[in-house]
Amino acid sequence: MRPILRDAAFTISRRLSKYSSLALIAVWLLGLQDVSLAQRAPTVAAAANLNFALTEIAKQFERDRGMRVDVVFGSSGTLTRQIRDGAPFGMFLAADEEFPNQLTSAGLTRDAGVVYAIGRLVIFAPTGSPLMVDERLDGLSRLLRAGGVTRFAIANPDVAPYGRAAEAVLRKHGLWDAIRSRLVVGDTIAQAAQFSTTGNAVGGLIAYSLVKEPGVADRGRYALIPETDHAPLRQRMVLLKRATPVVEQFYAYMQGAAARTALIRNGYQVPQ
Amino acid sequence: MRDPALSVSLRQSGPIPLDVEFTCHSGEVLAIFGPSGSGKTTILRSIAGLYRPSHASIRSGAETWTDTDTRTFIPPHRRAVGLVFQEYALFPHLTALGNVMTALGHRPRAERHSRAEAMLNLVRLAPQASKRPRDLSGGERQRVALARALAREPAVLLLDEPFSAVDRSGRRRLQNEIEGLRRTLHVPLVLVTHDFEDVVRLASHVLMLQHGRAVACGPISTLMSRPDLPWLREAVGLGSVFDATVTRVHADRGLVELTFGGGMLLAPARNIAANTVVRVRIPAREIVLATSAPTGLSLHNVLAGAVMAVHIDTAFEGVIVQLAVGNSVLLAEVTRDAIGRLGIGVGQRLHVLIKSVSIELQASAANSANEGC
Amino acid sequence: MDWAALRVSLWLGAGTIAILLPLGVWFGRLLAVREFKGKLLVEALVTVPIVLPPTVLGFYLLVTFGARSPLGQAFEALVGHSLPFSFQGLLFASVIANVPFVVQPIQRGFEAIPSDVRDAAASCGLTPWQRFARIELPLAWPGVLTAAVLTFAHTLGEFGVVLMVGGNLPGQTRTLSVAIYDRMQAFDDRSAGVMAATLLTISVVTLMATTALSRRVNPHRA
Repeated sequence: MRPILRDAAFTISRRLSKYSSLALIAVWLLGLQDVSLAQRAPTVAAAANLNFALTEIAKQFERDRGMRVDVVFGSSGTLTRQIRDGAPFGMFLAADEEFPNQLTSAGLTRDAGVVYAIGRLVIFAPTGSPLMVDERLDGLSRLLRAGGVTRFAIANPDVAPYGRAAEAVLRKHGLWDAIRSRLVVGDTIAQAAQFSTTGNAVGGLIAYSLVKEPGVADRGRYALIPETDHAPLRQRMVLLKRATPVVEQFYAYMQGAAARTALIRNGYQVPQ
Repeated sequence: MRDPALSVSLRQSGPIPLDVEFTCHSGEVLAIFGPSGSGKTTILRSIAGLYRPSHASIRSGAETWTDTDTRTFIPPHRRAVGLVFQEYALFPHLTALGNVMTALGHRPRAERHSRAEAMLNLVRLAPQASKRPRDLSGGERQRVALARALAREPAVLLLDEPFSAVDRSGRRRLQNEIEGLRRTLHVPLVLVTHDFEDVVRLASHVLMLQHGRAVACGPISTLMSRPDLPWLREAVGLGSVFDATVTRVHADRGLVELTFGGGMLLAPARNIAANTVVRVRIPAREIVLATSAPTGLSLHNVLAGAVMAVHIDTAFEGVIVQLAVGNSVLLAEVTRDAIGRLGIGVGQRLHVLIKSVSIELQASAANSANEGC
Repeated sequence: MDWAALRVSLWLGAGTIAILLPLGVWFGRLLAVREFKGKLLVEALVTVPIVLPPTVLGFYLLVTFGARSPLGQAFEALVGHSLPFSFQGLLFASVIANVPFVVQPIQRGFEAIPSDVRDAAASCGLTPWQRFARIELPLAWPGVLTAAVLTFAHTLGEFGVVLMVGGNLPGQTRTLSVAIYDRMQAFDDRSAGVMAATLLTISVVTLMATTALSRRVNPHRA
C-alpha cells in the first residue's frame, strides 16, 4: 500500500509542478494589471518637436490644475502606428495634420481635433562646424560642392513631418540628390537635433522649437527657414477614444492662454 | 518461503545483441566474463531496470521485475538492487555519508544517519564520512560505492568491473571483502569482469560472453576443464580449476596435503588450516604426461588418468589433452610432436605429473550443484 | 534618474526569470536526457531568438497581438487592454527572446551529469522526482544560475523589442535602457549618464556575484 500512496503523491506533485508555471504566469498577468494601470497618470503622446514646449506646459498644467499627465515623445508616424496597434494613449499631439487625420478616419479619435500650433524649421550648425547657416541654404550648397559635408542631419521623412519638410526644403534648393548619401536620419526630429547639436554632423534641418532652449541654442548657430519653402507644419491634436477626464482637461488647457503663450515662447505660431 | 534465486533471460537482435539465460542463487557468485563490448554491462543494467531489452524475463525470488511477455516492468527505484558502477557513479555534491544515506530511503528517517555510519564502518571508511568523492582515493570511492549498494539491503548485488580502477594491493583487499560479503550477505552476486583473475578468485559460476551471446556457462570447475574455448586460452592460458580440502598440514616442510575428486596433491602453502576448502588452479602448461611410471623425480604429485579427448586447435602450437583423473577433469597442454611420439589417443591411460610449485591456491569461493546456466 | 524605469527594468528581469526558469529547467532537462524524433528541429527553434533580430520578434508580436488583429482584440476584450504597449506585453516578448538564454545553459548543466550518476540515483531507490530534486538539480545548479544571470542581464539590456512593443510608456514599458535613449533625445545628458552608470554597475555587480556564488556552490567544477 505504502509505495502506491507515495507514488500517487509524487504523480500529483509532478502534475502540479507542470501546471505551476502556468499558474505563475496567470498570477503575474492579473497582479501586474492592477499595479500598472491603477495608479498611473494618464499618458499623452506627442511629436518630438514638442519635447521642451510640452514638458513645460505639462508642468504648468500640474501647477495650475493639480492634475498630472505623462507625456511620451516620438515621431508622429511611429506614434500613429502605436495608437493603431492599441497603445493606451489618451491624446495625440502630432507634428502635422495627416497623421491625426488617419486616426480620425480609422475611428480612433473623439473628433477631428484642432490645430494647436504651426512649427518652423531651422538650419543649425554646431560650434566649430565649417557650415555657414543662412535662410537660402547658400552656405550648405557651397560646403556641399566643396565636399565639406560629411554628415547632415534630418528627421526620417517617412515618420516625422519635420523630416518631410526638411526634404522639401532641400529639394527646393536642388540639393536633395547631392546630399542624400550624406544624410544621417533621426527616428524623430529630436534625434536629428541631437545629431546636429553634438557635433556628430556638420549641421541639420531641425525644429525651431528645439533650438530655442538655451541649453541647445548655446551649442551653435542657426537660421530660420522661410515658411514658404515647405508645406506649413500645421500641428493638429486629437482626443483619442480612451481619453480620461484629466486628458480632456489637458486638451482644453492646450487651447488656453497659458499654453498658447508657452508655445509662442518656444518658437511656434498659434492659430487665431 | 522465498525463492532466493535471480533468474534472467534476455534476447534481442539489436542495437546491442543479447542472447543469454542464467540463474544465480544466494551465496553464489556468477562472473560474467568476456571482452569489452560483449554486452556484459548491458546485462547488469537490464537486471537493475536501467535498460530494457526487447525480450526479457527477470525474476528475483518471487518477484517478477521484467517480463516483456506480460508487459511487466518494475522501475529501477522499486527493485531491491545493489549496483556498483564501474566508475562508481558517486553523487559528487554529497559527502560519503550523504551518498550512503541516499540509498536508505526505505528506512525510517531517524535511522538513516546511524545506519549509513554503520555501512561506512563496514567498509572501514568511517573517518572519511564527511569527505566528498573528489577528496577520496580511487579505492575509497570504490568502497563508498559498495557501502551505498549494500545500504539498499539489496536482493541482488551487481558489480560492474569492480576492480578496474584499483591498484594491485587494493584489488586483493577488495576481492577478500567481496568474498566475505558473499558468505555473510546471502544474496545472488553477479560480477562483470574482463579479467580472468577475478573469475578464478571469486566466481562459483561463470558466464562467458561474446557478442552478447553466452558461449559457455556453468560452474567454474566444469567450465575450466573444457578444452574447446580457444579465446579463453588466449586470455589467461588454459588450466584446471577445482575446489579441494586441506587434509593435512606439513608445517615443517611448508606443504599442505589436498584431497580432491581426483586424489591427493601436495602443494606449497603457509597459513592454511586443516579442513579448509581451497580453490586450486593448475595451468595446463604445467602438467607433464608420461606413458610409464617415472622414478627418481623431484615431483611430489603423480596421478593416474585416462585420456577423454585430444583437442587440436590449428590456431595454436600446443594440443590440449583432456584427462579423467578420479572423478575430476584436468587439462594438459603438450606439443603435437609429443602426441605423435607417445601415441596418445582417447582411452589411453597415462601418468599425470604436476609440479607442486605450479599449483595455485586461494581461499575458496562458493561452489554448488547449480548447473543452471 | 528615472526610478520608475529602474523599477520596470528590475521587475521585467525578475518576472522573466520567474516565468522562464521553471519552464527552462523542465525543457532543458528534457532536451538533455531524452532522445526523440525532431529533437534537432526543436533545438534549432529554441535557438532562433539568439540570431533573430529583436525587431523581427517585435514585428510578429505587433502583427499577432496588435489592436487590429483578431487575437489582439480577443486579448483586449478579456484583459481590458492590449498586450503590446503594456508591461505584460514586454514580459511576453522578453520571455520569448530569452528562451535560448535559459534553455541552453540549463540543458548543458543537465547534460554534464554522467548518465551513470542518474542511474545510480535510480538504483538507490530514489523516485524520479527525488532524483530530480536531490541529485540532478543540485548538480545542474551552475547551469540554472547561469541561465538566470544571462536572462536578467539580457533583459536589462534589451532595447529594440522594448521600444517597438512597449512604446516607452513611463512606469509601464519605459525600461532603463529605453529611458537612456529617451533622455538623450530630450538633451538631458545628465540623467542619461546617471542611468547608464547605474546599468553598468548593476551588470558588473550581477556578474561578480554570480562568479562568486558559482564558486561557492560548486567548487569541484572550478
